[in-house]
This record gives sequence, structure tokens and C-alpha cells, in this order.
Amino acid sequence: MNYQNRKIPEGINVSSEHPLKEFAILALIAVALVVLVVVILSALAEHFVKYIPFKAEQAIAATMAKQLDDGEAKSPEQQEIQDYLQGLANTLAVNQRLPKGMTITVHYIDESVVNAFATAGGHIVMYKGLLQEMPHENALSMVMAHEIAHVKHRDPLVSLGRGLTVLLAMASVAGVSDSSLFERFLGQAGLLTTLSFSRQQEKAADLEAYSTLREYYGHLQGAEALFEVLKSQEGSTKTPAFFTTHPLTSDRIETTKAFAASIHPLEKVELKKLPDFIERLK
Amino acid sequence: MIDLAIVLVLVIIGYIFGQRAERRHFESIIDREEQYKSLLCFSERFPPTQSPPPDVALVAGNVVISIDYFKRIVAGLRMLFGGRVTAYESLLERARREALLRMKEDAMEKGAHSVFNVKLETASITKGRGRQVGAVEVYAYGTALIEKTGS
Repeated sequence: MNYQNRKIPEGINVSSEHPLKEFAILALIAVALVVLVVVILSALAEHFVKYIPFKAEQAIAATMAKQLDDGEAKSPEQQEIQDYLQGLANTLAVNQRLPKGMTITVHYIDESVVNAFATAGGHIVMYKGLLQEMPHENALSMVMAHEIAHVKHRDPLVSLGRGLTVLLAMASVAGVSDSSLFERFLGQAGLLTTLSFSRQQEKAADLEAYSTLREYYGHLQGAEALFEVLKSQEGSTKTPAFFTTHPLTSDRIETTKAFAASIHPLEKVELKKLPDFIERLK
Repeated sequence: MIDLAIVLVLVIIGYIFGQRAERRHFESIIDREEQYKSLLCFSERFPPTQSPPPDVALVAGNVVISIDYFKRIVAGLRMLFGGRVTAYESLLERARREALLRMKEDAMEKGAHSVFNVKLETASITKGRGRQVGAVEVYAYGTALIEKTGS
């Protein structure tokens, strides 16, 4: 018997195609798919988000809520302000007819940032900087009602869903689906959501806030003071980035005045004063 | 954004070093296969009867080759669409041929002229730990026939 090992030709198990070519084609298709999926999902998010129970939203937001409080103990003064804001929010929430089970949690943060935002789980953050600028309770109520309206409309969840979708899509393509990445994302998401409300969402929140204030005070006077504060802030160089997605502030002043006029065209009503411990901040 | 940059850097490093290692490895494999041509290897379980019967010995060679990040990404993308995972095909080809070569080296050291009943075992080193960059082991073994000398 004649045994022999014949030489096996090269290239049977190895493709001669350049690896970069394969990579480029695959990556392009994948990126195109991801873009498509993100576009579709974010379009759908707004429609489906109302079917997510508020309890689930709170559970998602639980990790972020912890970060909002920073773990620092609040001084009695700060606690007093937070309790006051919480009380105001609760009253406004009733006037806004929040769906059953939806609760608002106010976080007062002792920083000079002129800002307030709503994030997933019904958490509303109020900075000292904005509170100091408020001339009376009516303007403060406008801020609160606006943020509560975001919660009611599930806007933070829509942005969160959008961000999560993008991240998921990126992670699955890049192959970096570490769970740590998710945690990091969820941690930052609270701030991210404030940046990405669309102009329509802001307009809808404004409208909701008007009807809330009308319900609560019976008029809308003083609400435009909020936008005047924002306008004076725009004048200074350090415009908070999140205001850029809001409707033009001057437009908002006009709209608010028009709304106010449509309710009580002539009478001038006395505006409610803020409690002393807030006046003292100024 | 920073995550994407990290991935990109890893892919580039993986591509440069991985491709260079692969090219050199194939060159060395082809070279050594030519060198050990005289040693015959078969998957036949039974060698032809021979008189006087030769000595036998178990010969083996194993190799572990790690994938690089570039291969991993390409394979990951491939898994979305299906088709030949060429990135892993060349890796396994290298591993099989290298394992056989090391087995041949073992056999030659023992003075064998042929190896029968050659078998290959493949194992994934990082099985079950999906997040790590994987490595593959190939183990080649067979029965070497060694011509009796002296006596």
C-alpha cells in the first residue's frame, strides 16, 4: 500500500477577501439599521409611553432619584423650603388633575444655577438660583405647574426612552454591552432628560400650566413674570443650555399675557407673596 | 462618545497587530509544513501491518490562539446578518495547522516516520464569559509509529 500526504491547496478555509472590506460593509449596514431603528423607536416612544405604568417609571428612576439628593443632610432652613415647595407642588398637582397614582417629589438644591427641571419618576428639581429670582408665588407656581405638566405628559420618559434606545443600539453594534455602561447611563439620564424636551413638549407643558394656574388662582396674572426672569437670564452670557429648546421667551411672555387677558381682561389682582423664608434668600 | 472612541482605538490596535500576527503565522505555518513533509499523518485508525511491528507512542501538540478586538467586532457584526464568519475561520485554520505541526514536531523528536489515528479537539477557553475577548484551543494527537532500531 502506498501512503502519502498530498499538499493541500491554500485558501480552502481562509477567505481571500480583505478583512477591512467585510468590516466596512457590515458596519455600514449596521449603522444604517441602527439609525432606522432609533428614528422609528423615538417616533413610537411618544405614542407608547403613556402605556407604561407610573410605578414602572418610578422604579426606573429610583437610582437617579438617589443622586438628586446627593446624600447630604439638609439644613432645617433647606428642609423648610423643600417642604413648602412640596406642598405647593401637591396643591398644583391636584389642580392639574394628575392621573391616579402619579406623585410629585420635589428636590430643592442649594446651588446658584437658575434652573428647574422635571425628570422621570415624578421628580422635580428646583435650584436655589431660580427660586431667588421669583418675585411672587404666582411665578413660582408657573414653574412648578410647567414641570408637573412634563411629568403628567410623561415627557422625561420619552426622552429617557430615546436615550436608552440610542445607547442600546450603539452598544449592540459596538459590542460594549457592559452592564456598567447601563448603570452609568441611568445615572446621567436624569440630567440628560432635561436637555432634550422638544419645543412641542414645552409648549404643551406651558398650556397645561396655564390651565392649572387658572384652576388654582382663578387668573393667570403674574405667570409672565417667570418668562421675564428667564429673559433677563438670556441677556446675560451664561444662558442655561436647556432654555434653548424652549419656545422663544418673548413669545412666551406674549402668549401668557394674551391668555391672562382672555380670562380677566380688566381687573388687576393682587399677587400672592412668597413666604418669608424664601424672601430671605434674595 | 468616549466609549465609542475607546472601541475605535481597540479596533485599530486589534486590526494592526492581529493582521500582522496572522500574516506572520501563516508564513511560518506554510514554511514548517514544507519542512516536516516527510512525516506522514493519517486519520486511519489502523496502520498497515508491518514486520517487524514498530514501536508506538502517543504524540500530541496543542495551541491556544486569542482573537483580537477587530476580529471580535467583525464577528459580532456578522452575527447580525449571518454568513461566513471569515474572521474566525482563519483563526481556527491557524490553530488546527499549528496544533498538527506541534504534534509533528513531537513525533519527529521521537523518531517517528508516520502518525496514525490523528484527531483534533477544539475548546473555547473563555466559554461562558461572553464579555471577554475569547481564545480557542486546538489539541492534536495521534499514534506515532517508530521504526525499531538496533536489536
